[in-house]
Amino acid sequence: MSMLPNWPLLAGLVARVRSLGRSVLHGDVVDAEMDEEFRLHVELRSDDLRRRGLTKEDADRRARLEFGHMDTHRADARVARGLTLFDEARFSWIDVKLGVRMLRKHPVLSLAAVFALAVGIPIGLAPGHAARALEAPLPGDTEHRVRAIRLWDPVTSSVTASTLADFERWSRELGSFSRIAAISTSTYNVATDDGRSAPVAGAEVSTSTFAIVRSTPKFGRAFIDADGDRGAPSVAVIGHDLWTARFGADPDVIGRAVRVGRRMFTVVGVMPEGFRFPASEQLWLPLPRVVAEGIAAQRSVRIVGRLADGVSPEQAQAELDATARLDRPELPAARARLLPEVVPFGLQFLGLPRGGLDALPEFRFVQALALALLVVACGNVAMLVYARTATRAREMAMRTALGASRSRIVTQVFVETIVLAMVAAASGVLAIDWLLGHVNLAAIAGESTLPYWLSLGVTKRTMLQAVVLAVLSATVAGVAPAIRITGRWVQQTLRGPTRMRFGGWTSALVVADIAVAVAVVGLALAMSKHANVLMASDRATGIAAAEVLAVEFRMPEADRFAASPSGDADRAANTQRALVAALEQEPGVRSVAIAEALPRMEHRMRPIDVEGVDLPPDTPPRWVRSVRVDVGYLAGLGQRVLTGRDFTSADVDSTRAVVIVNSAFAGRMLNGGDPIGRRVRFPTSAVSKEAGWHEIVGVVGHLGVNMMNPEHGEAVYLPAAAGEIPTMQVAIRAAGNPESLTSRIREIAAAVDPELIVGRSVVLSDVRQGDWYLTISIAGGLALLVVILVVLATTGLYAMLSLSVSERTREIGIRSALGGGRRTLVLTILRRSLLQIGVGALIGLPVAFRFVNELAEDGEGHTTTLGAGLLAMGVAAGIVIVVGLFACLVPARRVLAIEATQAMKGEG
Amino acid sequence: MPQQADLLPGTLDLVVLKAISLGAVHGYGVLLRIERISKGAILVQQGALYPALYRLEHQGLIESEWGISENNRRARYYRLTALGQRRFGEERASWSRLAQAMTLALTATPREA
Repeated sequence: MSMLPNWPLLAGLVARVRSLGRSVLHGDVVDAEMDEEFRLHVELRSDDLRRRGLTKEDADRRARLEFGHMDTHRADARVARGLTLFDEARFSWIDVKLGVRMLRKHPVLSLAAVFALAVGIPIGLAPGHAARALEAPLPGDTEHRVRAIRLWDPVTSSVTASTLADFERWSRELGSFSRIAAISTSTYNVATDDGRSAPVAGAEVSTSTFAIVRSTPKFGRAFIDADGDRGAPSVAVIGHDLWTARFGADPDVIGRAVRVGRRMFTVVGVMPEGFRFPASEQLWLPLPRVVAEGIAAQRSVRIVGRLADGVSPEQAQAELDATARLDRPELPAARARLLPEVVPFGLQFLGLPRGGLDALPEFRFVQALALALLVVACGNVAMLVYARTATRAREMAMRTALGASRSRIVTQVFVETIVLAMVAAASGVLAIDWLLGHVNLAAIAGESTLPYWLSLGVTKRTMLQAVVLAVLSATVAGVAPAIRITGRWVQQTLRGPTRMRFGGWTSALVVADIAVAVAVVGLALAMSKHANVLMASDRATGIAAAEVLAVEFRMPEADRFAASPSGDADRAANTQRALVAALEQEPGVRSVAIAEALPRMEHRMRPIDVEGVDLPPDTPPRWVRSVRVDVGYLAGLGQRVLTGRDFTSADVDSTRAVVIVNSAFAGRMLNGGDPIGRRVRFPTSAVSKEAGWHEIVGVVGHLGVNMMNPEHGEAVYLPAAAGEIPTMQVAIRAAGNPESLTSRIREIAAAVDPELIVGRSVVLSDVRQGDWYLTISIAGGLALLVVILVVLATTGLYAMLSLSVSERTREIGIRSALGGGRRTLVLTILRRSLLQIGVGALIGLPVAFRFVNELAEDGEGHTTTLGAGLLAMGVAAGIVIVVGLFACLVPARRVLAIEATQAMKGEG
Repeated sequence: MPQQADLLPGTLDLVVLKAISLGAVHGYGVLLRIERISKGAILVQQGALYPALYRLEHQGLIESEWGISENNRRARYYRLTALGQRRFGEERASWSRLAQAMTLALTATPREA
């Protein structure tokens, strides 16, 4: 028995497809061969006839006569090759003109359909477009050879900072990269010779960086290897923006001095406009090319490399995997589990997994939503086109009677729909392009600028995809209704007046519209519930965030600016004390608090052991947020301990290590009992002082550790001595508007220590934790989706009901003439719509329930807001039903306005 | 020459397949071969031949390639595919059964009725 089931059928099918493909794609060749074959036939026949005694002229004439008309044979041959369908469906510009005319003839219907696709197509394309933008090559890297090398922590699903030690090891070991470079970004106080000083985003980079990213200076030179040597002259490359803003676009800038912190650098190059590697930097200093040792080797850096010629990213990854598998006793246990990865630069920069956005379940959810919207949009357009085509029943029937084939009519409707879809796709893509050009995406993302390599503009590929989607949409929305409408129903129309009924599939579309709308409304309401929780949590922190200015201060890097580590520590301590004193003396400043992270900011997480709480073997350690704070932190924020005591200066110097925990920690990590006196430790801490046991001496409120879910924001506060926090987040409580202090604070900082870097300055109430942005973005996006879906559902319902009414005019007239009451007539018309709305809501409710349920779940599977979820679904269903009923209102009013006599004259 | 017979609808393809099954042949050769093997009893209309050939090729029953004809001209030669051989066998068997049945039916005597 053959392994292939029914192989003759398959073989026949393949042969037909091949033959059809050749005839369509190489029609000229096929026709030429056919002509040659016909001519040979006539010649051979003529030769035969001449052998039978005819003259050449007579033989040729008779052979041609016997063969018949070649054009007829050609036409027959096309039929034999299955090309009839293509011949009949041939494209015509008249169809395009008709399509444009149809747009004008049914403006409301056309607008609704164009709106549906103009929204559906860009939204359908947006997730893929965003994913590609993040993985796009850097500008100038035309062959896409630049890759980031990073360490991925599979336990926390996040990027762990690479160190100079990693960089040096990979520089030695990896052959897959022609060159690799380390990058350390920072904000520098840059003073020019006009005396002005201001913070500038910059980076210390390996001297090979510019060669790796294939970028050459506009003026001067890039770094050379010698610039990284110890003792080499201090040189800097500046960006175009810095050059114009601070050097007045001086063409003789090369050789001019610039003060960075306290050190003088000589400008050796100006990079071209738009170059801001790695993201938005404008100043580049050479990273010393020496083997880093001790603590300097642990300095965090980003690593990029250029793949060697002929080496693929996969081969580079394989080499990296091989090095990772080696036994490496020199690596601490916490780093041994990290997976080195070769990824596109954008993924490294944004900390996305190797699979990009596609690897994130949240992204797949968004994709599914976008696709659902596109499908609903297509379905609605199908219904609208169906309604539009139905109004041309007589025209179609007459054309069929006059000899137009079904495929010809289907083609015409298809082209008309294509015109509509193309107008929609073009409108949608142009609107998105305009929006991208006029909306400050960086501000939405909470950043001052977007990375220079991130281009979200509409690309050729996206435009091509929009065209493909438009064609697909037209196929779904145009061909399917056209086939249905030109079927049996045309014959019925020819026989006499008839009413075209919407079939089950259109009802299914309306039901699907309603179901999706209910589900999305439910989801949006669930998200708003979360937003409310967030607001409540904001209030519950007890901190008047709007009165607090959060300013980031950074001590200069120790290894580059200080003579010795001990001298550096003393200086940092003195600087911090002097800064706090100066700030506290400033009029309008009520108090000052210093920490690694302030309330509402992201807090570092790490594993913790709690004395007396034994976890079962093989259980992963419990993680908490930890933050080092200045001794006066709580008082500076206007907070008090709930129980126990606050830190004192003695806690910093004492050998008895102490911590304060927050109420979430006390409630969830200690298994009950009085927290005061209990002990905790951080088993993986590299700082020996923190690895030992710490006694809990106080409990505070949740203090904005986890704004999304305060009860799950367990945090431990450790006291830090002055100067121990290299990047300080300083909360400055103001008596008036905190923003008015911004410029004064920069002056104070410059007076205390010119090298002290003043980073981001923002009112604390504007600080958002990452999840907050995600929540707001998704809620905003969903609100938009809900509006769109409801509009789509409404237009779909309207189209169906409107057509239904117009086609039942005669019936309504008869019913009215026979004494049918207005109420009965309206109910007759609305019965089906009400049924569809009801069924749609019933189908949508379980989906909405699922959304609400998942969103309401906490991390341990408990549903805490089920009641709220059910309420949200009820409201969702209510909204959709009200909107659906509203969509029925206009057609219903038309029913009531119909005079019986007028209706009887109509054809419907 | 025997008396000429009209082809029944649907039998042209079978006759063309038979002609081609005897060896690769160009279009005009198919015509001559049918005339020869039917001893002149079947005359295929020249206009009907090529649509039949293209139809069979489209269905994957025959395939073609260009060669040189007896008058040294480029000619397209047709041959049966595996699918064509199989189909030809089936059609021939079916035809034989039909012909036999028809013969039996048409030669029946009153005694057999």
